[in-house]
Amino acid sequence: MRKIDSNAIEYIAMGSTVLGTGGGGDPYIGKLMAKQAMETYGEVSLIVAEELDDGALIVPIAAFGAPMILVEKLFSGGEFIRAFEIMEEYLGRKIDAVMPAEAGGLNGVIPFAVAAQKDIPIVDADGMGRAFPRLEMVTFTLHGISVSPIAQADEKGNRNIYQTINNVWGETLVGATTIQMGGSCVLGCYPMSGEQVKKAAVHGIISYAQKLGECILNAKNNNLNPLEALIKEANAIKLFVGKISKVTIKTEGRWNKGVCEIMGFGEDQGTSMKLDFQNEFLMAKKDGRPVAITPDLIVLIDAENAQPITAESIQYGTRVVVLGMKADKQWRTPQGITLGGPQKFGYKEKFVPVEELNKN
Amino acid sequence: MYYKIGVDVGGTNTDAVLVSQTNEILAKTKQTTSLDVSTGIKNAVEAVISKVDVSKRDIKYIMLGTTHCTNALVERKELNKIGAIRIGLPASSSIPTMADFPEDLKALLGAHIYMVHGGYEFDGRLISPLNEEEVKQHLHAMKGQVESLAITGIFSKTLPDQELQVAAWAKEILGNEIRTSCSHRIGGLGLLERENAAILNAALQKVASKMVNAFKDTVRGLGLSSQMFIGQNDGTLMSLEQVQDLPVLTISSGPTNSIRGAGALSKVKNGIVIDLGGTTSDGGVLVNFFPRESTQAAQIGGVLTNFRMPDVVAVGIGGGTIVRFFEDKCQLGPDSVGYRLKEKALAFGGDTLTLSDFFLANQKLHITGAKEAIKLQKAIAGTVAMKYAEALSVVKDQIRLTIEKLVDKLKTDETAIPVIACGGGAFLLPEKIGGASKVIFPEHMEVANAFGACIAQIGYEEELVINTTQHDEDDALEELLVKVKNQLLANGALEDSISTLTKESIPLAYLPGAVKLKIKLCGDLLG
Repeated sequence: MRKIDSNAIEYIAMGSTVLGTGGGGDPYIGKLMAKQAMETYGEVSLIVAEELDDGALIVPIAAFGAPMILVEKLFSGGEFIRAFEIMEEYLGRKIDAVMPAEAGGLNGVIPFAVAAQKDIPIVDADGMGRAFPRLEMVTFTLHGISVSPIAQADEKGNRNIYQTINNVWGETLVGATTIQMGGSCVLGCYPMSGEQVKKAAVHGIISYAQKLGECILNAKNNNLNPLEALIKEANAIKLFVGKISKVTIKTEGRWNKGVCEIMGFGEDQGTSMKLDFQNEFLMAKKDGRPVAITPDLIVLIDAENAQPITAESIQYGTRVVVLGMKADKQWRTPQGITLGGPQKFGYKEKFVPVEELNKN
Repeated sequence: MYYKIGVDVGGTNTDAVLVSQTNEILAKTKQTTSLDVSTGIKNAVEAVISKVDVSKRDIKYIMLGTTHCTNALVERKELNKIGAIRIGLPASSSIPTMADFPEDLKALLGAHIYMVHGGYEFDGRLISPLNEEEVKQHLHAMKGQVESLAITGIFSKTLPDQELQVAAWAKEILGNEIRTSCSHRIGGLGLLERENAAILNAALQKVASKMVNAFKDTVRGLGLSSQMFIGQNDGTLMSLEQVQDLPVLTISSGPTNSIRGAGALSKVKNGIVIDLGGTTSDGGVLVNFFPRESTQAAQIGGVLTNFRMPDVVAVGIGGGTIVRFFEDKCQLGPDSVGYRLKEKALAFGGDTLTLSDFFLANQKLHITGAKEAIKLQKAIAGTVAMKYAEALSVVKDQIRLTIEKLVDKLKTDETAIPVIACGGGAFLLPEKIGGASKVIFPEHMEVANAFGACIAQIGYEEELVINTTQHDEDDALEELLVKVKNQLLANGALEDSISTLTKESIPLAYLPGAVKLKIKLCGDLLG
């Protein structure tokens, strides 16, 4: 167990943006909420899964909705507590710890606000090790853990409990009501035992996010190149260096789908890269050949300050570096590839690990 | 035939140019910025008028570029006593107003901060209705204690009526003299950044009014009946009334004017502009005669806003930069003697070796009152324990390396592009720079700022979120385009010169049908 203070939140938020792989929402709002809650209620204890009793009750907490809405209609703070409390009420017992469902983006820091207010620990684990666009796309699903009961609350005080026949239905129903709630809400979902968390989660992800954030934000103080420090810490592969030459973006169903084109620069002069995204980056192709494929992480970095760029803030002309990072090993199993791999998003290309695609 | 005068009020100098209808510079001057601002403006305007035989009646426009508001914010001087109301409860209360402000600024501005019920959903439904009693209770609490009020409502960019209603109640309770800063007129989507901008704007309204009045009185006092404008961040102009309403939009007009001015002086459309001053050299990128904007969220006085600002990178090279030698190597700055050059520098009998000393000694720079070149060369040699010529070459190499790094940082690809010099310290810029196709020293480069203010266009922008399941996107964009164009014409633009700066529609993630539209147009002033 260790204490997380608001300084550490800065680093975790930055690292969460890296793990967001272009999606997950900007953690700035989450960071301010967590800091505000910690200022009022005190620091938060971060525990590793081994510290949990097998019979303990753990509930992942997540903000759900459109990133653009989340920065305009901020949370009241009360919806987190309401989602938490109706889950306790429904299950008839106290929640012992919370955790992020998704360590990438906004949801990597949101659970700290709840943990501070409820004075319970947060588990150093999540269900993705990155960000994904759908509620069922978590390692918990791979272990047969049900998303239900789902507790949902909005800022106005509306509350729902869902019992769904499977995890995909959880996504479908919650997605529909979220729009009626004004485009954002808070979920408590995948209630689990300590034993299940130990087995089914991606472990150490908050500490990992913190380390990545420290690389980016502290490198300058230590006279290091922040990009090199990040590559080393993440064991990342530098896929491409260039300048954004085109961004196309359109709505298909509930998502932003788009392509970001990058013209090579420096060592990649004369070549080009295309990044496909559906909220998160899914496929990176260099001159038509895949160099990184979901569920591996594709991270777009601003070459000027080594900070990650989210898909909705891609701008023409920005100098960027594209990094490839290995997904958690659970995503690289046949079941993991079915749930989070290229076929799930309609690609013909089969998943090949990023390190194999870039073997020279 | 008519004429224009451009004035740039900087921290040290107030520059002015007088130009013809076709933007040809007929007179220019550099005067010292006065404490009261107006005397400096008066001296500069008088000086350019006296140099040319024109009738005062024919001076149709006077444009002012100034960093006055920026300085007030950075120095925390003369800021208004403000109140702030956020409209949106029960939403948004998890993050207090000014949560991420620097502590000193929060202490200065944070006495009357309130949240009230109200706000809209993205699709126009109410989050809550406004509660008149609740709002008025807070307004009564501010009575006699605030000079301006920042009002920010959730999704006010789409539906501003609640902000306007609160502004009306504020006048009713706090009196007509209260100034209001409604966020929908200032920032884009993103509640916190827009609220921050509205607060900074409210804090600057008094400073802006003072500046505008000084400018107006000075110009009228000189017997000129010219129409007056002030330059804003994106290189377009605002009326004096607009500036008093929205002063925060002038905050980065300084770099904008110098980049646009240098582009126009050199007639180069795309390139890098380096504005060399007394303390720093500021590099910016010129794209189609406009500054490239930064992709990073802009911080003003330590506060995050969602303004788009020119992408400027500064390095510590200026006329007053202090030079230190360590054996045969030299270090430039980053500190500078700044405006105290004439008391501190070696050339003026001081004990500090500055970059200006090196260039006064080889007569590339001339300032009255400086030591003779030969004597100065000896003094420099004595200070650095090296022959003057050798030391100069070490210093020049160091300048070149620093500038080359700056140029490389600003470039988006490896193609060599033109570098344009401007500002009072332009003599420091090497004639050959790695990565530059050529280095241009345009005529009048020392007054590029004032010229940039003079050639500014007028512009107007709007953005809104629509639901495409209810509205046709193309129709909505067309409707917005007409609205923006009409507003621009009403602001005095020449119809034929109107061009589009921004036209975008961005779908919002996770929401079927929600699209953000944004249009910005600009055009020349009606002749």
